[in-house]
Order: sequence, then structure tokens, then C-alpha cells
Amino acid sequence: MKAFRKTSLGDALGIGLIFAVAIFSLVLLVAPSIIVVIISFDTRAYVSFPPEGFTVKWYAEVFKQGELVEAMLNSLQVGITVTLLCILLGVPTALACVRGRFRGTTALSLFVLVPHMVPGIVLGVAVLFAGALVGVSPSIWLQSISITVFILAVMVRTVQSRLMRLDASLEEAAANLRATPFNSLRTVTFPLLLPAILAGAVFTFVEGFDNLSVAIFTHGFRDRPLPVELLSLVQFTSSPLVAAVSGVQIVLAIVALVLVSMSIGLDNVNE
Amino acid sequence: MTDATLSQGHAGPGFGERLADALLSGRGIWPAVPAILVLMIVAVIPFAILLSLGFSDIQISRGDIVSQTFSLTHLANALSDPLYWITFQRSLSLALTTTALCILFGYPVAYLFLTGGTWTKRLILILTIAPLLTSGIVRTYAWLVILGGRGVVNQTLMGLGLIDQPLRIMNTHWAVLIGMVQIHLPVMILPLIAVMSRHDRQVVEAAENLGASRLGTLRTVILPLSVPGIGTGAALVFTLSYTTFVVPQLLGGGNYLNAATMIYEQVVFSLEWSKGSVTSLLLMVTCLMVLVAIALVTNHFTRWTKGRVG
Repeated sequence: MKAFRKTSLGDALGIGLIFAVAIFSLVLLVAPSIIVVIISFDTRAYVSFPPEGFTVKWYAEVFKQGELVEAMLNSLQVGITVTLLCILLGVPTALACVRGRFRGTTALSLFVLVPHMVPGIVLGVAVLFAGALVGVSPSIWLQSISITVFILAVMVRTVQSRLMRLDASLEEAAANLRATPFNSLRTVTFPLLLPAILAGAVFTFVEGFDNLSVAIFTHGFRDRPLPVELLSLVQFTSSPLVAAVSGVQIVLAIVALVLVSMSIGLDNVNE
Repeated sequence: MTDATLSQGHAGPGFGERLADALLSGRGIWPAVPAILVLMIVAVIPFAILLSLGFSDIQISRGDIVSQTFSLTHLANALSDPLYWITFQRSLSLALTTTALCILFGYPVAYLFLTGGTWTKRLILILTIAPLLTSGIVRTYAWLVILGGRGVVNQTLMGLGLIDQPLRIMNTHWAVLIGMVQIHLPVMILPLIAVMSRHDRQVVEAAENLGASRLGTLRTVILPLSVPGIGTGAALVFTLSYTTFVVPQLLGGGNYLNAATMIYEQVVFSLEWSKGSVTSLLLMVTCLMVLVAIALVTNHFTRWTKGRVG
């Protein structure tokens, strides 16, 4: 049926231009990260391009810097705490939103979204001030709970969209077979939800590990997370050390990407 | 056989399990209660406190508030301070420009996604989602490497003999804008892809079978149908770029003041609580106003499409 299509020169040029911009944008998305990885293997003590030699000494250097290692461990702790809290709070909330039979399920889904819609920096300032009023000073725990509140919506949304596509009759079948509500949740619903929970866990972990906007106001002064440490490092050092830290983080991101594509598939990230 | 005899065969369910059953059986709000409580304590109440701090005079001694009285002074001070107007204007125009450029550079990618095969689609998804899983600081740092005095751009231009001395790109408005667009591009592309894959490809094929050129199909069919995606993407990119702190701080060289860096300085360095609260509230309110505007424009064009297509 393609015989009817008009193919004029203008059309071809226009579409060509659009594809050219698309390819430019796609290159723009990855090129900077690739350049950082290349720089991280440079032998020179300052950042320049193209590199002059190959060495892994900056990677060794990263793990020799006590502050950096400590910051990484702190961020790891925050990431894990945020993930666990988001699973514990988010999965039941998603259940209540989708399977609940009370008035206000929609209101509940919207309420969970609110902290995520507010700029992270405003949430950080608000928590810092409120904490100071009741005598809670910034700490790794305040940081973790604040980031949890900020990112909870992502876990709820991911589980919610999976739950909505699950057949409710599976649970009814379990109930007809005299499974108690908890048992049917444990043996039927929960296993089906696992991929969504895993994907949500990846996103919440990454946020806990990388978040700066909330963390910068709520982190403890003695346990600085990696983003805060990196921010000052980037501003005051010019060696490829930061590039090496970035290299480590890019590897982590690739692991996260693989996990997401294995759990819910990349096409479903939008939901 | 009754239920009672049935359950005697097993060890009776423990207290925890019975509690879980009770909470789940009515399909009530119970499972969500812990989350609601945490959100109240860590988000809603802090926002209320932020609001109250912005509208009051406080006296602090040893980290405790000694007295707090209602006052509009801080808001009035902020609104009469030219620095505020300049800063918010700068943030607003930077974020709007970023949003517009993200649409311009992101839309073609979504179009390529729509027309491409399985592997093109997969590649686009990987290239779009991977940056979202990478730290914002890392992605900003990359631009320091590229735009710096000895960076990729300058080395290339000097190598080609186009310039003798390194161009000063870092620490300028341009560096901030380039970084902003690249960092927020994935956030624009994802909703566009989502809305594109929701519509039936047959609509596009129908238009082409009826003799529409590819550009014509794009303009009259695909573009109108993807308006909601543009709206969502624009809202996300605007919020993020209007309130970002990393990009201006790092690529602007520490003297590029936008609303977010202003809040940071007021709260962390000069410890001006009321000022910081007022600036945060102004940031939130102005952000909300633009989001409402974006939603209105999106709705207007969506209704227009529905009138014509649906």
C-alpha cells in the first residue's frame, strides 16, 4: 500500500534532519560518560583530553582515600536503608491503593505523590528546620528517612502499576480455596509482585545512594554521603581522581540497568 | 467437617499472622497507615513548619527557638530585594530555555523510537535510562572535562587550528545551559516514548496509506497525539531544572546564583532560617504556577486534538 505515499525531496530532507538531531541527542546522552571513563585511566595528574597513557592508579587511589571510602560506605548504608523502608512502607500502600475498598483510594495515591512533586531542596530544608525545632539534628538516619519520603512514590507507583495488571481472580481463587488473606498475599500476590518490587528497589537504592538535593541539608556532619563528598571534591581538585570515582559509579549504574531490564523490562520503566 | 476441625490439623496461626489477616481482610486503609504516618511526620508537618517560619520573626538561642511571632517582614523584604527578582528571573528563564531545548532535542529521539525496529527501540531505551541511574554529579563532572580550559572542546578546536587560545566556556551561562539540557534530556524522552508506544502504529500507517507524506503524518497525526507526553516531560524537566543545585554550582563556577544555590547559601552558610524559608516557599509557589500553566496549555492542545481526531 506504500505506493500512494508522496515522497518529495522536502519530505526526505525534513525526516533526515529529524533523524540527524535524534542521533546527535543519543550521542549527547552517552558521550560525556564515555569521556569520563577514558579520562579516569589517564596517567597525567590533571584532567585533559585526549589521554596520554594508561594506568589504573586513580582507581587504586580512590580506595586509599579514607574519606572517600567512608563516604561510599555511608551512601551504601543510606541506599540500603532507603530501599528497605520503601519496600516496607510502599508495597502495603500500593496494595491498599489498588485492592482497597474504602473511599479515598485515589486520594491516597495522590497523597503519596506529594513529597515527590515538591523540589527535593525544599523538602530537605523543611526537614532540617522541623528537626531542629524538636531537637533532631541532621544524621545519616534523618537523611535516610527524608530520602525515603522523597522517593517512596516511585516504589508505590511501580508496584501499583504491576498490581493493576494482575488478575484479581487469582487472589479470589486463593480465597475460594480457603487461603487466609495473609496466606493468599504471601503465596499468590507477593511472588507475582516480586519483579516490580525489585525494579522499585533498584530505583530507590540509586536515589538513596546518589541523592544530593535532600541529603545536602539532612546528612550528618560526621558521616558525609558520597554525593556531598564528591561535590566538594569536584570543586577543589583537578586530578582524574573524581573521574575514577565516576567510573565506579558508572559501573554501578550499568549493574542497576541490567537489574531493571531483568526484572520488569526497560519498556515498563515509564509506568 | 467444619472449619474448626480443619484448622486443628495445623498448628494454629500465630498472632502475627492473625493480625495480618485482620488488617488485610476488610480491604481497608490499614496497610497504608505506616506510610501515611511517616509522610505526615517527615513531609507534611515539616512543610507546615517551613510555612510558619517564613511568616514569622524568630529568635534563636543555642539552636532553640526562643520566641516566634507572626510577621510578613521576611516576605516583604524578599519581594523588595532586587537580588531576589534577578535570581528568580534567571532561574525561570534558564529552566524554561532548558525545557524548550529538551523538547527540541528529545522529540526527534521519540520519533526515531516510534519508527525504529526492535533493536533501535532497545538501544534508545538503554541510552535513555542509563543516565537516570547515574549520579547527577558524575554527569555534571563530565561537562567540566569537556568544556574546561584543557577540555575536549578546546583541545579539538585548537588541534584543528580554529583558535589559538582556549575559549572560556566553563563558568559561563552557556556551560550551565549545555549541562542542564544534557542532564535533563532523558527525563523528557521517557514520557514521550511512553505516549508514543501507547498509540496504535496503525494510526500512522493509515495516514500514510491515505497519501500523507511522512512529515505531514508527523505534523497532523503523531505530534497532536503526543501532546500529553510533551506536557508530562516539560513539567518534569522544568521542575528539575528550576530547582537544581548541582549544575549551576559546578558549571557556573560557584558564582552563578539561581534560586536553589541561593537557598543553599542562606540555609547552610549564613544560617538565616526565615530568609531560607521564604526563598524555599517562593521557589515552591513559582514552580507550582509554571506547572499549572504547563498543564493548562497541554489540556488546551489535547482537547483540540480530541476535537479533530477523536
